[in-house]
Amino acid sequence: MTELRVNRRSVLAGGLAAAGLAALSGCSPGQTGAARTLQFWHLLSGGDGIALQGLIDGVNSAHPEFHVRPTVLAWGAPYYTKLSMAGAGGRAPELAVMHSSRVPGYVPGGLLDPWDLNRFRELGVDESTFSEPVWNSSVVDGELYSVALDAHPFIALYNTEICEQAGALDSDGQLLRPSDPEEFREMCREIAGVTGTHGLSYGFIGDGQQMWRLFYTLYCQHGAQMTFPPGGQVEMDPEAFAAVLEFMHSLADGEIAAQRGTIDVAIAEFAAQRSGIHFTGVWELPAMQDAGVPVGATMIPPLFGGDAVYADSHSFVLPHQSEPDEQARNDTYTVVADLLKSSLTWAAAGHIPAYLPIVEDPAYAELTPQAEYAEAADYLVYDPVAWFTGSGSNFVQQFGQIVGGAVVSGSGYAEAAEGFRSYVNTMLAQPNPADPQGERS
Amino acid sequence: MTDVMADRSAVGPDPEVTPGETRSGPRPAPPTQRQARRRGQLAAWAFLAPFMVAFVLFVIWPLIHGIYLSLTDQSLTGTGGSFIGLQNYSEALSDAVMWRSIGNTVWFTVITTVPLVLFALIMALLVNTGLPGQWLWRLSFFMPFLLASTVISQIWVWIFNPEIGAANEILSAVGLEPIAWLQTANVDLISIAIATIWWTVGFNFLLYLAALQNIPTLQYEAAAVDGAGPWRQLFSITLPQLGPVTGVILILQMLASLKLFDQAYQMMDGNSSESSRPIVQYIFEAGFVGYRFGYASAISYIFFVLILLVGITQMIVLRRRKEDS
Repeated sequence: MTELRVNRRSVLAGGLAAAGLAALSGCSPGQTGAARTLQFWHLLSGGDGIALQGLIDGVNSAHPEFHVRPTVLAWGAPYYTKLSMAGAGGRAPELAVMHSSRVPGYVPGGLLDPWDLNRFRELGVDESTFSEPVWNSSVVDGELYSVALDAHPFIALYNTEICEQAGALDSDGQLLRPSDPEEFREMCREIAGVTGTHGLSYGFIGDGQQMWRLFYTLYCQHGAQMTFPPGGQVEMDPEAFAAVLEFMHSLADGEIAAQRGTIDVAIAEFAAQRSGIHFTGVWELPAMQDAGVPVGATMIPPLFGGDAVYADSHSFVLPHQSEPDEQARNDTYTVVADLLKSSLTWAAAGHIPAYLPIVEDPAYAELTPQAEYAEAADYLVYDPVAWFTGSGSNFVQQFGQIVGGAVVSGSGYAEAAEGFRSYVNTMLAQPNPADPQGERS
Repeated sequence: MTDVMADRSAVGPDPEVTPGETRSGPRPAPPTQRQARRRGQLAAWAFLAPFMVAFVLFVIWPLIHGIYLSLTDQSLTGTGGSFIGLQNYSEALSDAVMWRSIGNTVWFTVITTVPLVLFALIMALLVNTGLPGQWLWRLSFFMPFLLASTVISQIWVWIFNPEIGAANEILSAVGLEPIAWLQTANVDLISIAIATIWWTVGFNFLLYLAALQNIPTLQYEAAAVDGAGPWRQLFSITLPQLGPVTGVILILQMLASLKLFDQAYQMMDGNSSESSRPIVQYIFEAGFVGYRFGYASAISYIFFVLILLVGITQMIVLRRRKEDS
């Protein structure tokens, strides 16, 4: 009988061999067959992720000649770091999703390749199929760098039952649209009387992004502009700036809204039907419907003059590839056009489809409450254009740092406006770190 | 602990056996001492090689390359990279945010190290008095240490929630004003410190407990015979005997606190304030969010030099103390 001898060497040798095999098998492509693989990075998780996967599956089954393979990464600063590094290396995925507001910061670094509008025209996608604000946000220096899938504005969700009891609905069952701040506060107090807790759920504390969303909506309602010329000085309206902060403070009084509401608590409060109105992004809509809230949705009322809706878009971009495969590029155009044309399902996730033929489709009009805020597409305001602005940027975090104290304490509005001005001027004086010497611009 | 040291010294090299010789007698052709030493050195290097390769690749090389990077305007996106001399350093030295971040890290080290030593000591002393259910105490004090930083961050973000958190529930139950723990300037870092103390005190507790159980009971018996009460025993036997382990805990603790990043980053969830941002996070933000690799490298080296100074001071103090004793 031979004895199986296990000694240290054989174990080491066996281990090495196994590790080698594992490493080799890691090299083999996951996708078998002749279909070309198109790598697609995006940042949509949760309900959004499931909805997008449905769209991707549809594209894949319609086109057996290629296979779109999505990689989902957590959104925020780390996503943009990974994407820019992929672009910097020149071996980026074929397709990626970015927020439109971040695109201007990426273009000068050569991290993105421009889309060829002519190729899109052949597929039925051009400037006439997008609303003006959306299309403008896609063009940088006269070139098309992003193609928007949606617009996801910051809106008001409302609980139809609670608001009805508080007399805050009109005859069509829609939320009333008060036209000045005090009228709005009064309406919220009425609702608070019904819920016994708060009238409005708005989480902002310690959250620059949330503060910026409401702030910029209301600032733009004043008809005020905010422009960030590179190397220059910020142009803004400090009075409108201070007025908005004062209004935001007046909401967080413990009756209208929680004094120290965080975004999580605001979501939980509205989902538990303990408030009547929720200032939030459209992406919260499906979760509220799932929670059984009788939910309506509308633009935030024009409290300071005109309508304006803070928004951003999930947009398709071509991360820079040094040697793009022409066939794969062609497929990528097909994928984007197909995704746009099937984005009715995307509307179910709350977003306003950017592709106008979808919005004009009668099927979209039947989607409630999505269709109720579709008109927001005409009033969208995106972040002021600069390399340092945009969703998930340091800019929104800094904004929260600068104005947070004033919103909570109810004093120092003018100082906050000045602090913001000096912060932005400092940033404007700095070169875009994606291209510090302007080599690629 | 002293017993262990004594045991270890007993298994040192046998003075009677010279290299190249074994107990069974001299070899037929014994190599010269120099040859044997050289062979021994070769073997030692061969055993060290796998480690050395990794060490050079992942510690030494980045350390040298980082110095070069800090002298350039290298961007994470591949642009830049031209030599700009000490410009990054001069910018960093006049960067108020950097100094604030270093200050935060130092302040955090102070407000965590002291309680982490004191609480661990008190907990170990209490458990060591022979409370019933020893295993339960040991387990419950040590358990938080086993959690991942992501988990403790989540737990404490909820405890510190300003509207529905447990911390404010307790405050209002005793009639105090609620606080926005993680959203108020200067309170945020203290909140992170509280979470960190809860998380890591168990490890120091365990070190102290082990040291306590190593003190020979003989000494306590002798002291009792001489009429020393429990307090006298504590101050004359227990605390002096815990001196060496306290030194170890202090050094480990300071190093851990100076590295603060995970829990601060996670608990603030991308909304770090100037009063809560540790220096390691500022380096990360400068390099990976702001893409300024050259600048981030320069800050790293400034911090590196500061830690080096702390380390050297610590060494000098310890050596002097040893010489004194």
